[in-house]
Amino acid sequence: MNRWIALPAIVFLLLGGGCRQREQPSTSTAVLAQDDSQPRAGGTLYRRLQSDVSSLNPILTLSRYDRMVVQYLFTPLIQFDENLKPIEGLASAWDISPDGRRYTFHLNPRATFSDGQPVRASDVVFTLGKIVDPSAEAVQIASGFEQIDMTQTKAIDDKTVVVSFREALASQFTQFNNLLVLPEHVYAKGDFRKDFNDTAVGSGPYKLVRRVPSSEIVMQVRDDYWGTTPYIAAVVFKVILSDATAWNAVKRGDIDETSVPSDVWMREQNDTSLKKKLDFLRYYGLAYNYIAWNSRKPLLADKRMRRALAMCLDIRSIIGGLYGGSARAINGHFTPDQWAYNQGVPIIEYDIDGAKKALTSLGWFDRDGDGILDRNGKPLRFEFIIMSGSAQAQSVAQLYQASLKQAGVAIDIAVLDFTSAFQRILAGNYDASYLSWDLEPDPDPYPLFHSSQTPPRGQNFVFYASKDADRLIEQGRRELDPSKRTVIYQELHALLADDQPYAWVTQPSEKWVVNRRVKGVKMAKGLGLFLWHPAETGWWLSNAPR
Amino acid sequence: MYAYIVRRLLYALLTFLGITVATFALIHSVPGDPITFYTGISGSNLSTPVLEAIRRENHLDEPLVQQYFRWLGDAATLDFGRSIIDRRPVRERMLQKVPNTLLLNLIAFGLAAAIGIPIGVWSARRPGRLLDRGSAVIFFLLYSLPAFWVALLLMQFFSVRLGLLPLYGMTADDHAQLGAIGRLADRAKYLVLPVLTLAYAQLAIFARFSRAAVSDVIRQDFITAARARGAGEGKVLWQHAGRNALLPMITLLGLTVPYLVSGSVIVEEIFQWDGIGLLYFESIRTRDYPTAMGLTVLTAVATLFASVAADVLYSFADPRVRLEGRRR
Repeated sequence: MNRWIALPAIVFLLLGGGCRQREQPSTSTAVLAQDDSQPRAGGTLYRRLQSDVSSLNPILTLSRYDRMVVQYLFTPLIQFDENLKPIEGLASAWDISPDGRRYTFHLNPRATFSDGQPVRASDVVFTLGKIVDPSAEAVQIASGFEQIDMTQTKAIDDKTVVVSFREALASQFTQFNNLLVLPEHVYAKGDFRKDFNDTAVGSGPYKLVRRVPSSEIVMQVRDDYWGTTPYIAAVVFKVILSDATAWNAVKRGDIDETSVPSDVWMREQNDTSLKKKLDFLRYYGLAYNYIAWNSRKPLLADKRMRRALAMCLDIRSIIGGLYGGSARAINGHFTPDQWAYNQGVPIIEYDIDGAKKALTSLGWFDRDGDGILDRNGKPLRFEFIIMSGSAQAQSVAQLYQASLKQAGVAIDIAVLDFTSAFQRILAGNYDASYLSWDLEPDPDPYPLFHSSQTPPRGQNFVFYASKDADRLIEQGRRELDPSKRTVIYQELHALLADDQPYAWVTQPSEKWVVNRRVKGVKMAKGLGLFLWHPAETGWWLSNAPR
Repeated sequence: MYAYIVRRLLYALLTFLGITVATFALIHSVPGDPITFYTGISGSNLSTPVLEAIRRENHLDEPLVQQYFRWLGDAATLDFGRSIIDRRPVRERMLQKVPNTLLLNLIAFGLAAAIGIPIGVWSARRPGRLLDRGSAVIFFLLYSLPAFWVALLLMQFFSVRLGLLPLYGMTADDHAQLGAIGRLADRAKYLVLPVLTLAYAQLAIFARFSRAAVSDVIRQDFITAARARGAGEGKVLWQHAGRNALLPMITLLGLTVPYLVSGSVIVEEIFQWDGIGLLYFESIRTRDYPTAMGLTVLTAVATLFASVAADVLYSFADPRVRLEGRRR
């Protein structure tokens, strides 16, 4: 990761040396740089919110943006450090029973909510109760606690809570990172779904000043915070939907950070005057792009067919041409930043001739001379769904279409809006689709690849069913010993790569720009800039103007 | 006269019901529902009991006809339900955004009319002259420029390069602390770019419409007669021709009013203007049925109101409309 920060810095020095000879080296910047090495308290950080939050109620959050906001206001029971290792959050210590079903958390005795009340074990139980209550509509978070046993979940004393599960799952522990504890004395009153969308009382380092829906969210650091108080005095989230507007806003200094579309980032990162003002950062998140093959379709049921189709995917051109080198190829479901990743699995190389041979051996020939292979009178042709609104997806699909044509395979690209596309995909009414996943820190792939998890139960909408994979997935999620679990998942990784329920396309890096007045910016493996500890709460602002 | 208005209103009510049935059927026939949306945006598993609860809560499990009548019954009491996505009452969301869209669009259309109509009228008077040809070329050129591109150019020049105008939003952060005049100036500053982006394309519509209306009238005998009587050119144009050209202009008004509340997705997105256009767009994307239906009612009512108002104005402006009404 350091390489990527260093590289732009070198480019900057080189360019700066060439173009800016007439300018005298400024002594004031040297002084500033000296000041900046020491964290400084104060200032207001302006962040961009790409889409307004659906709620400030932390258990009703839907998207990553929601989480980025509530992260400041609430503290999870456990957090991740920059190596994705669990560290203390609201809980300063914990024990796990040998059978892996009972978690005992010892809350930080100093922890208080922003209204001054102490955080109690009963608040944790209350929050868990809300999460698993279907009428509370905690769509996203509830699935992580489906195995909870509420009858055995209780406060032992004011600061100790036991959380019990009906089943021991290795992935369970990381779910406590989603447990943002609510104060019972506030959230038990009124309508839970309606009354807490614009207000918040939490145990986080900041307290809410105001939320103006579709416009801004303003928060201020707590002077009575019980943990390490962050440097930045106030954080303002500005809702800016348009990427173009956000880019102009960050250039002008209206906001301090924004994610940037790949093409803009690649084009502008070498602009010397911009680089003086903005840091161009990129990192690999726990996300990847893939092609989902509907294995219920007879055409795509054979893994040899799926492999042949994957051989027509010119990943190098996609990475070089579409991402300017800022993406990487992956060989299977787990990403290189996860411990479950299996380094030894080869990436399927682009090989049209090899694909042709493979298809021939499956009985596909161009018997009628129309340039498309056929078998039993049927052409090798299928539909390829992409989502509207993504130029990137469009280019990938067209590139793929052209390569497939050389191999004698025809695809019809169908551009659908997000919800329509998922309607068809979840119903199994599709052939292939170009999609992406945003993964959880814990690698358990149960909902995606276990044969019991076809829709509507899970998201195995490729209808992958393998006895070996099922066994490994079940073992992996029950194995509490990390080193044994690693071995299981690495085997699963190789098996999935061999079966090709997906064609893994790329892992594009996420691209951001951050104003250089923001200091202390670090990136964590897999999580990048945000949502680990201290991450954004470790930043500080220099005196330099925006 | 009153009978005519009452009859017009009854027709409008029937049309309104028709619109709601059609929209309801349309939006539910688009593939996917809010549950699909939830499932699609999530990389992890979703809790089935929770999804079922949401489905039940929003009556998505009932037959469509039953859902429609339930919705109609609530809508009759101006209760449009609760957004499935952000859980806010739809009425509250709409009331929050309508004034913003209305403000922006009224000024933009007002500006376009204030520039477009006089130029159109003058063009009609001297067809083929420089003003006529020149304005036609310029207006059509403007009309054909895509709004998002113009918006970005305006932004780049006025906000990024010159730093004169704010980039996005509706008011400055310190708006509430400003005095009355300061607040007005602040508002105005934030309005300039979105108003320009919305107005430039409308110039052509207003100018060409008024030109056509006036040039129809100006060729008629009574204008020649007025001129023959020695009436000044200004008087001929504005008093004699202008009044008679009113009828087509009323039609234009009827066509314009619905736009005032429906908003523009592009302008609202680029300038982060918290209006109806964006809300409509989002509600369709996320299959937020209650919000989409509420907004449909809003635009339908505005459209019907405008067309009824236009008809009533016709009957004032042109006795023949009224008489025809009586004969039937």
